[in-house]
Amino acid sequence: MFLQFLFLCSAALTVGCAIAVAVTKNIMHSCIFLLGTLIGIAGLYATLGADFVAVTQIMVYVGGIVILMLFAVMLTGGKDFVSRAQNLLGLAPSMGNKWTFALGGFVGVVFILTNVKLLMSVFQTIPAKSFGNEYPSTVNEIGHLLIKDHVLAFELSSVLLLGALVGAAIIARPRKQ
Amino acid sequence: MVSLASYLIISLILFVVGLVVMIARKNIVAILLGIELILNAAALNFVAYSRYATNNLDGHIFSLFIIVVAAAEAAVGLAIVIRFFQIKETIHIDEATQLRN
Repeated sequence: MFLQFLFLCSAALTVGCAIAVAVTKNIMHSCIFLLGTLIGIAGLYATLGADFVAVTQIMVYVGGIVILMLFAVMLTGGKDFVSRAQNLLGLAPSMGNKWTFALGGFVGVVFILTNVKLLMSVFQTIPAKSFGNEYPSTVNEIGHLLIKDHVLAFELSSVLLLGALVGAAIIARPRKQ
Repeated sequence: MVSLASYLIISLILFVVGLVVMIARKNIVAILLGIELILNAAALNFVAYSRYATNNLDGHIFSLFIIVVAAAEAAVGLAIVIRFFQIKETIHIDEATQLRN
C-alpha cells in the first residue's frame, strides 16, 4: 500500500516534470523541473528496493549535477532569466507564485516518502511488514560486488572521473588573448 | 498493479522526452538536460530488470556506473559550454559553426 502510493507519487512527479522540462521556455525553469524528475526517479528506485542507488541518485544528481547545470546557466545566461512572477503572500519579492509552492511541496512529499522508505529498517518501533519492506539493505552486497566482480570497471571509473575533472578545468580556464 | 511494465513505460516516456529535448531545443545547456533524461531512463531500466527479471544486483552496479559517467559527462560538457560562451557570447546551438568546411 505504501509502496503503491510512493510509486504513484514518484511516477507522476517524474513524468510531469520531464514533460515540463521539454515544454518550458525558460532554461532556468527547465533545470528546476529536471531536479523534480531526478527526485521522482530516486523515489522509483526506492520502490524497486534499490536503496543505495536511490541515495546515490539524490547525492550525485540532485546535489551535484543539477547545481552544476544551474551554475552554467547563470554564468552563460545574461539578464533574461530574472523571475518576474508574482509572489504568493506579498511578503518577499521573487518568491514565486502558488504553482511554485505547489510543485515544491509535492517534491518535498516525494522526498520525505523516499527517505521513509529508505530508513524503514531504522524505525524499530514500526513493524516493517506494514510498509512492504521485504528486501534487506543492498549496500553490503553492492560493496562486495564492486570490489570482487566489477573491480576493473570500478578502477577505470575513478580514472575516468580524474580525467574528466582535469579536462574540464583545462577547457574552462580563462585564457589570455 | 506495480509491475515491470509500469517502470518500462515511465522509462520510455523519459527517453522520448529526452530525445525531444535534444532535438527541439536550441540551447546547449537544454541539450545536456536531455542527455541527462536519457541516461536516467536507461538506469531506471537496468534497476527495474534487476528487480523483476534477475535475482542479482548487477543492474544496480550498472546504474551506479551510469551515474558516474553522467557526472563526468556533465562536468566536461558544461566546461565546453562555458568556453563556447566566452568565445561566441551566446550558447545557441546554431552559432557552433567553427568545424564547418
